[in-house]
Amino acid sequence: MNPAVLANIYRFFGLALLQGVALKSIGAGVESLRYLYIIVFPIFIILLPMRTPIPLVLLLGFLIGFFVDILYDTWGVHASAAVFTAFVRSFVFKILEPRGGYNVNLSPTAENLGFRWFFQYSAIMMFLHLFFYFSVEAFTFVYIADILLKTIVSFVASMLFLLVFQLIFKPKE
Amino acid sequence: MFNLVQLFLRLSGFFVFLLLEIICFTMVVKYNQTQQGIYVNSINRGTGFLQKIGANTSYYLSLDDENYRLSRANARLLEKLYNEGIDTTSVDSTFQQNDTMQFDIQIARIINNTVNNHHNYLTLDKGTDDGASAHLGLITEDGVVGIIRKVSKRYSVAMSMLHRQMRVSAKVKGTHYPGSLIWNEDEKSTRLFTLLEVPKHAEVAEGDTVITSGFSSIFPEGVMLGTIEKINLKPGSHAFEISVKSKVDMTNLQYVYIVKNLFKKEQQELETAVVNEDE
Repeated sequence: MNPAVLANIYRFFGLALLQGVALKSIGAGVESLRYLYIIVFPIFIILLPMRTPIPLVLLLGFLIGFFVDILYDTWGVHASAAVFTAFVRSFVFKILEPRGGYNVNLSPTAENLGFRWFFQYSAIMMFLHLFFYFSVEAFTFVYIADILLKTIVSFVASMLFLLVFQLIFKPKE
Repeated sequence: MFNLVQLFLRLSGFFVFLLLEIICFTMVVKYNQTQQGIYVNSINRGTGFLQKIGANTSYYLSLDDENYRLSRANARLLEKLYNEGIDTTSVDSTFQQNDTMQFDIQIARIINNTVNNHHNYLTLDKGTDDGASAHLGLITEDGVVGIIRKVSKRYSVAMSMLHRQMRVSAKVKGTHYPGSLIWNEDEKSTRLFTLLEVPKHAEVAEGDTVITSGFSSIFPEGVMLGTIEKINLKPGSHAFEISVKSKVDMTNLQYVYIVKNLFKKEQQELETAVVNEDE
């Protein structure tokens, strides 16, 4: 099987299970960690190969979000955020397009496009994902301050995890 | 045509996105309690606002119907008057005899009306200044609408027929078994009521008319309540559970008559006096 496909299948299950089994309980019941969530499964969407057709990206985003939802028992909340993240991916690509354009046969990783580019890309994606997720979780903008606080705190934590993930696995595909 | 296909292809991502988000949000509001609560609440607020606009609009649009309805009611009253041989040329003779007139009827406009809750209320534009008081009945030509609960100087609020605690003393026309008419709330209908306590030996049939019994001292005897839809008899029970369909459209009311029983005080005083004597 194509190594890129295989890597993505591993990431799909690895990240979803990590999210839904281990990271789910972080900060649960601790008042001072009320705003801290570590959300890592969007890394799967972030690292999908560039040539993946947009409808497929959306569908895979939905599937991993739904998988996490099953583990969290929050039907549709993670999935809606994941679909949103998958949808904005192509726009983020457009914004960050380097002068020479992309080599669409590659995956959007630090190995292929440089650490600086990857950091910007994943930061935008992660921030949008978290903001959308916490908005759907609250389901009202009455608590916008709460939503923003949660987004920022969780963004820092999730980005740290993403960088560690990047340093350990150095994904090329 | 080719351009159109091209456009669809270019937008396919967007359509898939829209479809998936619709699926997600349907799940969110269906299976998550917090989100469901917020969703239902905001939908209610939105529809409430729209209903208000709708009511105001339909008020203007239905003035014609309302006119027709009122003149029809007038005609019926005149018919009654002529047929009973009352001399209408000397109006004085009819209305001077205040002591023989039991029911005083006054018209009021409905300015607020709820039908979607467990406890629904009507607000009328008549208050103590106009002689309204608590425990007066409200009717239209089609039937009973409610009972006034509280009165201020200019307004009064009435318990609608669509209220969990509403009970009207009723009977099937032609019989003399009094029962209680309550709102059949479970049917989610504004027209279905249930008549309880009619004994099973009473001769009733589907299609019969249900009227007020006149026992409650709020409504006169014989005010229309509805027609019998279905007669149920639970095994082991000694009374029918009669499903009654009302003619009144509670969702579209504009004017009602306030019925004041001028003998009510006398009747109640006498009744309580006897009860007190026996205790």
